[in-house]
Amino acid sequence: MLLLNRRDFAVLSLGLLCTSPSQAQMDTARAAGFIQAAGDELVAAINNPGLSPAARQERVASILRRSVDIETVGRFVLGRFWRIATPAEQQDYLRLFEASLIRNLAGRFGEYQGVRFALGRTQSRTEDDALVSTVVTRPNSNPFNLDWRVAESGGQPKIVDLIAEGTSLRLTQRSEYASVIQRGGGQVAALLTAMRAQAAR
Amino acid sequence: MQRPLPAIYLCAIAALVGLLAGCATPPPASDPEALAEYRATNDPAEPFNRAMFDVHQAIDGAILRPLNGAYRWLPAPVRHSVSSVLNNLRTPVVLLNDMLQGEPVRAGDTLGRFVINTTLGLGGIFDVAESRFGVPVHYEDFGQTLATFGVAEGPFLFLPILGPSNLRDLAGLGVDTAAQPLTWFGQGLAVDLLAGVRGGASMLDTRDYYFDFIDDINRTSLDPYAAMRNARRQARAAAIANRDAVGHQPPSR
Repeated sequence: MLLLNRRDFAVLSLGLLCTSPSQAQMDTARAAGFIQAAGDELVAAINNPGLSPAARQERVASILRRSVDIETVGRFVLGRFWRIATPAEQQDYLRLFEASLIRNLAGRFGEYQGVRFALGRTQSRTEDDALVSTVVTRPNSNPFNLDWRVAESGGQPKIVDLIAEGTSLRLTQRSEYASVIQRGGGQVAALLTAMRAQAAR
Repeated sequence: MQRPLPAIYLCAIAALVGLLAGCATPPPASDPEALAEYRATNDPAEPFNRAMFDVHQAIDGAILRPLNGAYRWLPAPVRHSVSSVLNNLRTPVVLLNDMLQGEPVRAGDTLGRFVINTTLGLGGIFDVAESRFGVPVHYEDFGQTLATFGVAEGPFLFLPILGPSNLRDLAGLGVDTAAQPLTWFGQGLAVDLLAGVRGGASMLDTRDYYFDFIDDINRTSLDPYAAMRNARRQARAAAIANRDAVGHQPPSR
């Protein structure tokens, strides 16, 4: 009961955060086509034997930069703290967030040699985005469910969340950032400091 | 006939003591958003949990991860068979919970898998039920059963070695342990040894399932404790709603 309520709450707060009057609805077939294309591109880059690990990561990063609505995700992840951040902090944050998102995802995907993926059976739709489910298989590993949340952004479908085995990346990250800010005395600056320190590692 | 108290109960007692000892201060009512978040996080024992998390991380770094690393030298099919045998041994508990949750189809899957894998699969060494009959394994436990009864999760708990949990799931684990046939299988060195081997293998199997996930969080997270707390809660919600079935799944606790 409690869990359902919390999910409703998350969806609701997401709606409040992301709704803009001009936002179009996302068609599941279009979203699925977009994920198939982006996924094929990613798999081709990851499995390309002619690329050095660094070149592979760079290729994956550039596909992600094109396919992910980084600003929307970044604002969602900062959640209620976006409003208390100064404009300068918001700018700083988005820059650091993009770098960390791309670095982390490219780092993770870059290690998935031999990966294959297939569109899953169910594709669903919410008010303003679509959920495209895929099954990812790697050699010597168990297959896992990876769902992609796709929303319209400037007339283009873009990825706004990744859900691995039922765990949403942006929700996990929002909770993590909120914790860093709270433990830093409620200051967004504490998060920016931690992000900078990580980027420097 | 009674077996000695497993370490898990001692952990539970320690956790309860900890709950009384170190409590987080809730934000003031004047900040409704912070208060809502505090309630959603549901971690009133956070200082205690974080201390336990540090203990866990130290044990994991010094012992569990290196062990897991060594385990990964075994060929994947061997590790797969270990999972499969453990799954087969877990059948009575899963079946009981399938039935308590009023899921006859899933209970049938569990029972059918047990019959097929115990015989054709040579005691579960081969997961014939999945590979030949297309019936993948699924997990249930008493914590999930309680959740379907409408029992709230209770405060979040992080315990060394056991990892992230909550009061409801910890109680569920106690019931599942008591429901295991091995718990009532008489006593003596052989039974204790068997239970020990099984417990160790089970821990390694679970750690192995999360290998990449744990490495990833430790490498990329700005607050691994908060990330694990949230990810565990989401994964648990998916397991309770049975949205977690694609073949091999870990025994989420």
